[in-house]
Amino acid sequence: MPALLEIRGLSAGLQGRRSVTQVVSNVDLDVHAGEILGIVGESGCGKSTLATAIMRLLVPPQVLQSGSMTLRPGDGKAYDLLDLPENELRQLRWRHLSYIPQGSMNSLNPVLRVGRQMTDTLIQHGLSQDEAQERSIAALELVNLEPRLTDSYPHELSGGMRQRVIIASAVSMRPALIVADELTTALDVVTQRQILQELAGIRDELGATILIITHDMGVVAQIADRVAVMYAGKIAELGRVNGLFEAPLHPYSQGLIGSIPRGGGQRVQGLPGEAPSPWNYPNGCRFHPRCPHVFAPCSEQAPALLSPGNGRWTACHLYDPEVASNE
Amino acid sequence: MNDLLVVEGLQQIFGGRDRTHAVDGVSFRIPAEPTIISLVGESGSGKSTIARIILGLLHPTAGRVLYEGTDIFTRDRKWNRKFRGEVQAVFQDPYSVYNPVYKADRVLKLVIRKFGLAKTKAEAEMLMDEALRAVDLRPEEVLGRHPHQLSGGQRQRLMLARVYLMRPRLIIADEPVSMIDAGMRASFLNILLDFRETHGISTLFITHDLSTAMYLGGEIIVLYQGRIMERGQTRGVMDDPQHPYAQLLISSIPTPDPRRRWEEDLSAGPLAEAGAGISSGRDRCLFAERCPAVMEKCWGARPHLQAVDVDDAAETSRHVACYLYS
Repeated sequence: MPALLEIRGLSAGLQGRRSVTQVVSNVDLDVHAGEILGIVGESGCGKSTLATAIMRLLVPPQVLQSGSMTLRPGDGKAYDLLDLPENELRQLRWRHLSYIPQGSMNSLNPVLRVGRQMTDTLIQHGLSQDEAQERSIAALELVNLEPRLTDSYPHELSGGMRQRVIIASAVSMRPALIVADELTTALDVVTQRQILQELAGIRDELGATILIITHDMGVVAQIADRVAVMYAGKIAELGRVNGLFEAPLHPYSQGLIGSIPRGGGQRVQGLPGEAPSPWNYPNGCRFHPRCPHVFAPCSEQAPALLSPGNGRWTACHLYDPEVASNE
Repeated sequence: MNDLLVVEGLQQIFGGRDRTHAVDGVSFRIPAEPTIISLVGESGSGKSTIARIILGLLHPTAGRVLYEGTDIFTRDRKWNRKFRGEVQAVFQDPYSVYNPVYKADRVLKLVIRKFGLAKTKAEAEMLMDEALRAVDLRPEEVLGRHPHQLSGGQRQRLMLARVYLMRPRLIIADEPVSMIDAGMRASFLNILLDFRETHGISTLFITHDLSTAMYLGGEIIVLYQGRIMERGQTRGVMDDPQHPYAQLLISSIPTPDPRRRWEEDLSAGPLAEAGAGISSGRDRCLFAERCPAVMEKCWGARPHLQAVDVDDAAETSRHVACYLYS
């Protein structure tokens, strides 16, 4: 079965006066129908740029450089996201593809009642007032909010409730794909747990596919089926959560998972060095200056994302039989 | 041995008409021997307010803070200077503490000058070198650079280098790692552990992130809406929390291990959010409306912290404010 979202060779960057600084480089990724896929990485790794590019919401100086993205939302059609004109894209967004940007719980209009803000979106997509009302209430129930909340103003709600309103709004058209960027970052742990569990419930109930962008390995471990680890604009490793957390392949994923503080009095070491910014991505493998296993080809040749089997993918010369045999 | 710091019946009420009890009768002590104590709670639990009061930045409505037996708000100039040197703060935002027009290492130079730590320029440079190495920074990485040229992790460690120069007895660290990257967090926490072990510096570590508190070990104080719900040794509380709130909080940590996922689905439960029903006064258990084990009594009067025996006999310091244990 073809993937719900197929990303190939996607590159995006920042337009400077003379040249484009690449932020996301040559990303290949398949998002399968019904899965929760986590994209993790430290700040500046390009994960949010990738999410924005998927939504085609990059704004100057951000530019899309190359690649293709095909969405098959299950209506029998395949949409080439990079080729769609803006008006068709607008209809596609929310209906098939919705987006919960970072910090969006603070994006509700303070002078409009919550219900009105939800129905406005739906009416834009051709629903009648009554249908829009019905859909909004149904969506609020999905996130365990009472229908009477539609009469509230955003300031009357707690942060967790506002985030739930945003989620309800994003799922009210029953989209095939939901892209959520740092959904629970500003919330308390108990609220975070509830919202993530609600999100998993929405996946089960609506059969939606969810792409979660986060810096928090814990969030990914708790609710994702698969995880893509990003480093310096590229996917370093991709695989099912259990396998990846248990035995990470890429030295960066190893460092990232190894540096998680745990209890029991055992000390862990942080990752030495700093992640590079897009203005000074190193040549070859972008992780090589920090890598404990660095060898000759790493500084010259960028490793390709290859699969050593088991649905695992990693971009590291250590796992490339051709490079290894040349050594 | 006398305690280093004693917090007694601290209360902080903000605002006029809708009075907010940010801190409501909090007492604890930091012993003289080097320790790390974590103050954990969700937003609105009062943890940062407590930090601000201890630092002398805020006058409490009631209660007092004693440093080596002296009330920090009734002090003379000389004592004040000593206190400022011995109790150092590290704040959450590693961006806003620096003046962007000066070079970042000015925070070190100022301390050396103001507190007369070095007699000559060469001595000052040696001191700076040593301080930077103590926090895993290479001097060439940071010296002569402006704050925007450093990463969040570097800036936060530079603040620790400043603290190191002062050789304080106590660090008040308010969410120091919440804005730095995962890979860097462990190194920052390791420095605090080193400070305690090698230099005898204690830390009051304020956080909403229980996994960092767990890593640091020591003791833990769990706050909820301005009150202490439970306190004890960190490992004991994490493994076997007694207060229903501590149980809820600790079970909600997103453990970075896919084989240990959350068991119970909380999403359909009663709307369990702090402040959901602040109405029925404060002379009661503030967790009552969210508590799965709530009893008649919980609504009647405030439960006070009292010592509770736990399974682990080695742990003698556990205190819980809950009627289940009285």
